Amino acid sequence: MAILEHLLNPQYLDLFYFSALGVVFSLIISFLPALHIYNVIGIFLMIVLKFEATVAPMQLISLCIGMIVGYSILNTVPATYFGPGDESMSYYILPGAAWVAKGRGYESIILTGVGALGGIIMLAALAPAFLYFMPGLKTITSPHMFWILGAVISYMILSEWPKGISQSESCWENFREGWRFLGVGIATFILSGILGFIVMAKTMVPLDFAFQSITPVFVGLFAIPWLITNIINIGIMPKQYEAQSMELDWELVVRGTFGGFLGGFFAAYVPIVTAGVGGLMAGHATAQRDGRLFVISYGTCKTVYYVGSFLLFFIPGLSLTRGGLAWIVTPVVTVLTMKEYFLFVAIMLFSAGISFLLLMPFTRIIIKLVEKVDYHWISVIALALVIPGVYSFTGMGGLAIMAVSTGIGLLPVMFQARRMNLMGVLLLPVCLNMAGYGNDVLRLLGLI
Amino acid sequence: MKGFTHFVSGIAVASFFQQAVHMSSQEQSFILCLGGIFGIMPDTLDFKFAKYFYKSDLEIRPDPDNLDARVIAETVAQAVEKAAKEGRGTVQLHTMQLGSNLWRSYSLWFDSATSEVCVEIGPLVDTGQIPFEGTELKDPKKSSARIKVSCEFFQQFDKKSNIAIMSGPCFEFVKRKTGKIEIVFLPWHRTWSHSFTLGVLISLIVGVISFLTVTEGPHAHLYSIPRWMLYPLIILFGSMVHIIEDSTGFMGNNLFYPFTKNRTDGLGLMSAAEAIPNFFFVWTSLIAILYNLDRYRWAPTETPAGIENPTTFFMWFYILPVAIMAFFFFKGKQEKQAAKAGDKKGKTVDFDSQTSVERETDASII
Repeated sequence: MAILEHLLNPQYLDLFYFSALGVVFSLIISFLPALHIYNVIGIFLMIVLKFEATVAPMQLISLCIGMIVGYSILNTVPATYFGPGDESMSYYILPGAAWVAKGRGYESIILTGVGALGGIIMLAALAPAFLYFMPGLKTITSPHMFWILGAVISYMILSEWPKGISQSESCWENFREGWRFLGVGIATFILSGILGFIVMAKTMVPLDFAFQSITPVFVGLFAIPWLITNIINIGIMPKQYEAQSMELDWELVVRGTFGGFLGGFFAAYVPIVTAGVGGLMAGHATAQRDGRLFVISYGTCKTVYYVGSFLLFFIPGLSLTRGGLAWIVTPVVTVLTMKEYFLFVAIMLFSAGISFLLLMPFTRIIIKLVEKVDYHWISVIALALVIPGVYSFTGMGGLAIMAVSTGIGLLPVMFQARRMNLMGVLLLPVCLNMAGYGNDVLRLLGLI
Repeated sequence: MKGFTHFVSGIAVASFFQQAVHMSSQEQSFILCLGGIFGIMPDTLDFKFAKYFYKSDLEIRPDPDNLDARVIAETVAQAVEKAAKEGRGTVQLHTMQLGSNLWRSYSLWFDSATSEVCVEIGPLVDTGQIPFEGTELKDPKKSSARIKVSCEFFQQFDKKSNIAIMSGPCFEFVKRKTGKIEIVFLPWHRTWSHSFTLGVLISLIVGVISFLTVTEGPHAHLYSIPRWMLYPLIILFGSMVHIIEDSTGFMGNNLFYPFTKNRTDGLGLMSAAEAIPNFFFVWTSLIAILYNLDRYRWAPTETPAGIENPTTFFMWFYILPVAIMAFFFFKGKQEKQAAKAGDKKGKTVDFDSQTSVERETDASII
């Protein structure tokens, strides 16, 4: 009866309105080229919070749920056709690009949508279980989080295998060829790690926009190198086919969703780890070998990472703040009870349904756009928008950081190393700071 | 097993040392990662070092402008005949890169029934190994060849090797006591790097260094193992767990290199690339890590336990998932066997092989 009373209570209808509004906003946000969601939401909420007197906390949270769920599902579309804005996307984008090259971008997007929906359903189904085991998990792992990050870093570096064709007569020549790729990967990780230390210790971004200090770094590391690649790419976008139906069996959906959920949950729970890193580890843990499985799994992983990290924040009594959005809404949220938690779950399901319904028409619109407008020009326009955008928020200091980050971000693109190594920008400083060695590194770098 | 499986297993093994867990939580030590690093180390040594320095007797560099499957098959057969005469023969097959994203594929297999080396030139493929339709060789004399050899084959894998992108595979042929020629895939893999001998040797070196440099930590009376000994033991057990896990597959390891020359056969319980066995080891390791971190927490009487009831924990988080995994694993095995036996009633799709969805269904988009 109590559940029915809650469900049928019209006072919650406004929350569904706000979440639907959030999904619509996410559609616009996901279309903004080359920016990370948390930075965009941060700016967006700064504007919305001016209406604080008229917007209730739970309404604002519903708006955020709508935005994060919508973004996690819908941003696959522009990312597939125009390039990724963040690291979580860039993990997917190479296989995604392969599907686009075969004219099957639409299919890959729908498969990620199916995976995302599967991930949301799993989150909802496990929401009561989270109440039971998350406090225990937090108690066990809290004192060990730094070495878990260390293990993630070690695995990221060790699991990159050499490339090259090894056809020289000389063993050493083949060895050098293979290790060139590995060396670039390691160099990328170390350089981005040092950059992370510098940016965190002595940011050049004006204090008013200190919360945006990481924006120029992410834009430089991930977005601009991709836009530059798009611009200099001499290839043309092949005709994109719109599949009328897709043959999907439950086995594939379940396997993809399960693997993706593991990766997404790991990324949502462990600080700094993104969906890309979580997806890589879960993919290896479940021995994924198939393209379709990867795409479905990726859809789940990304959604569970973005939405799950926000959901964890709402577990009553847990105080688990993971992901940028949880930090952003912290000042707004005063009380967290079971009611808010399960309202979150309901709004999350509602937002996922709307987002999935929007996915197909949104993809069709983007396909029409790329058919009519040369994607080189779309990338040029995106670049022309991003640079002044970064300047307006972070000034000349931000532009300088962005320029250096772009240099580092181009390394893996040019030498075919893993772009994931760029996550060293956060992983290395955060891991060493958590372990208590951060100041030693800063002293070594002459920053203090 | 997959690299990640070995990595997590290595960490799990390290977490069984109480002092290592205490060092992590109280002294911000990364010692548990050492288990993971040495868990994956044998494969790292093989694929990042050993592979480059292995010299083959014969190398095959097919000429893309003058392709002939017979030339390839004859060279492989030559290596087989060398093994029949001298005991061993090796051959390295190279790929054919035609452009930045264009390769010519070919495949090699050994027909045990007829003692033939078989080669087939395949279509052009991209780096994702997607074939370009209609690019197969038109001349049947050049596109496939079968060369008979004078000896019988012994092979555990009866599969085609598809040689298409990046670096090609290497085969070793070894004459067995029965006179049959054993086909060894990637002879540089799972040899010295996957031996107990190397694990012991590295541990001894690390043990000497840590004995000279590592001093006893706080609360030494709590532990039965001195701190310096933790490092070599974690390294030893980390690499050992890799070898043990690999031994459950088909390929096996060369356990006592250089005292033994050949890889021993694996137990053949599961394939290293199968999803469920890999996940079983990963899940077991994760559960062991969580359990160990909790039971070895610092000051257990003053800090609350994360796992309040170990029996319930193992029931829900280990026994139940393992039972589900076992169900799907054995179901898949049965279906595979049924399919092999030609039982048309059995479902031909198994949990680990291609599903109907994984095959192309929409011809218009190819």
